Amino acid sequence: MIQYAAIILFVFGLYGLFTNKNVIKMIISLNVMEVGLNIFIISIGFNSDPNSIAPIISSTNQLSSVFVDPLPQALVLTAIVIGVGTTALGLAIAKNIYKTYNTFELDEMEESA
Amino acid sequence: MSAILLIAVPLLAAFLSIMMKKLSSYVLLAVGIFNVVLLLILPDGFVRIGEFNQPLGINLLLDTYSRIALLLLNSLILVITYLNLKSYKTYGTILLLALAGLNGLVLTNDLFNFFVFLEISGIAAYLITTSNKKPRSTFHYLMLGAVGSSLFLFGVIILYAMYGTLNMVGMIRLIQANGNYKEVILPFTLMFIGLGVEAKLLPFNSWVKGVLGNSNTLSGPMIASVYAGSMSFVLGRLITNLFDFQGSLLTVVTIILAVGILAGDLMAFASTKTREILLFSSVAQASIIALLFVNGIIIWAVYLIIANALSKTVMFLVINKATKDIGSDESQDLRGLFIKNILVGVTFTLATLSVMGLPLLVGFKIKLAFLTGLADANHIWLIAIILIASVIEGIYFVRLLVKLWYKGDKEINVSYNFSFKTVFVIIALALLVFGTYSTPLSYLDNSIDTVMEEVNNG
Repeated sequence: MIQYAAIILFVFGLYGLFTNKNVIKMIISLNVMEVGLNIFIISIGFNSDPNSIAPIISSTNQLSSVFVDPLPQALVLTAIVIGVGTTALGLAIAKNIYKTYNTFELDEMEESA
Repeated sequence: MSAILLIAVPLLAAFLSIMMKKLSSYVLLAVGIFNVVLLLILPDGFVRIGEFNQPLGINLLLDTYSRIALLLLNSLILVITYLNLKSYKTYGTILLLALAGLNGLVLTNDLFNFFVFLEISGIAAYLITTSNKKPRSTFHYLMLGAVGSSLFLFGVIILYAMYGTLNMVGMIRLIQANGNYKEVILPFTLMFIGLGVEAKLLPFNSWVKGVLGNSNTLSGPMIASVYAGSMSFVLGRLITNLFDFQGSLLTVVTIILAVGILAGDLMAFASTKTREILLFSSVAQASIIALLFVNGIIIWAVYLIIANALSKTVMFLVINKATKDIGSDESQDLRGLFIKNILVGVTFTLATLSVMGLPLLVGFKIKLAFLTGLADANHIWLIAIILIASVIEGIYFVRLLVKLWYKGDKEINVSYNFSFKTVFVIIALALLVFGTYSTPLSYLDNSIDTVMEEVNNG
């Protein structure tokens, strides 16, 4: 179920990205899309079994126990960091766009370009 | 010595060069030379990071295929940096980051690691395009690149959910054992679209016009030669080994690529701006390369990538330097460019004729070989499309050459320094030598890519 929510969020972000003409709104749409993707990654490793344990092997917790897959969690951390980097770069370019064209609207830039 | 140094050294140097920004380009030159030397002495094989065996841990694969790709991209970055040492000296850190990202992209055998390097090299590419001073185009590139890599990651995660591994060799084994290709159509399509954005494949390449149409002597050759070449190499590796298109997906991909070849050349034909002509020609060539990989003609696709990367380096450097000095890239305004630059004109003409595939140049040998390969596989209509595209290509390139060689209304003065001329002459000579003496080209065959060998050997 959570995977459907993630895919819907991803599609919302993609829709926002292609329909918005405002640079800041486009960056926000990109973030919404990335959040959807991150939730999808986490949902892959999620385990709803009430007996499932944290993925730590100890004297009481053996490998045979049901546990949450830790790999998607590691992957999503990396994906979040990369997303932050891309957003920061996008905002820096947005600032540059405003300095050059005096607007955040892509339509108005075409007129003044 | 390990292949990991090809990624780690540029990455470390990138961080260190922030503290000495003015010297960053010199650091890059030193790292580039180190990488090229290292590539010549490293043995083939897998590098296991943390000594974890497959499918655990991240593996890097250095074989003849990746060695050729790495030698090409490291040498080209070295040459482009040297030529722009004075004009763009603060871009050293970014180019080091690009070098680390692209080296990792070619070497890695782990699909998530592949996504990470795709993003690192992508961020470096967006920063390189800021040198065009066209933030709107850079922003467009950033948005499309981010969507592309997100789609790629989406595909990778779906594959992980299905097969429980991110290791490429391990995943290929599991997909083969499963034998149900319909299951993997969705993730493969998402991954192909994601990589198509970076590899300039139509219809995912709307960023190209803004970025390369306003490029300079740094961003032009970097994006059109180094990035395009590297992305073609990695796309080729994935198409040949992992995607292995079949059934309806093969038909759809073939049609997309065939349309890309024709559309790219038609757009170049319709354009009057020199940089646009070159960039649309690159779009068409990228589709041809992908088409060859789809049909299993690996070795000639590799030679085509190398020949294109070298030719486009010369062409973009010549045109972008002239555009910088004259202030326009309209072919009409560049009339008579080669009258006072005969040597540059000759090298540009040789590079152009090689891209067109005229006899005596390496482009001809490559075109003849891959057309023969397609004929052997009975793809007559693909040959027809490539030949029609070649005729269109011939018309717009000859039209461009005539304009650049014959005098216009006003006299134009563009001076190319000794370093530029030396690079142009070396590349033109290489195109000519391998065109007339092509025996070394037959030393290698489709077995340069060893991923399937690893899959079959267990």
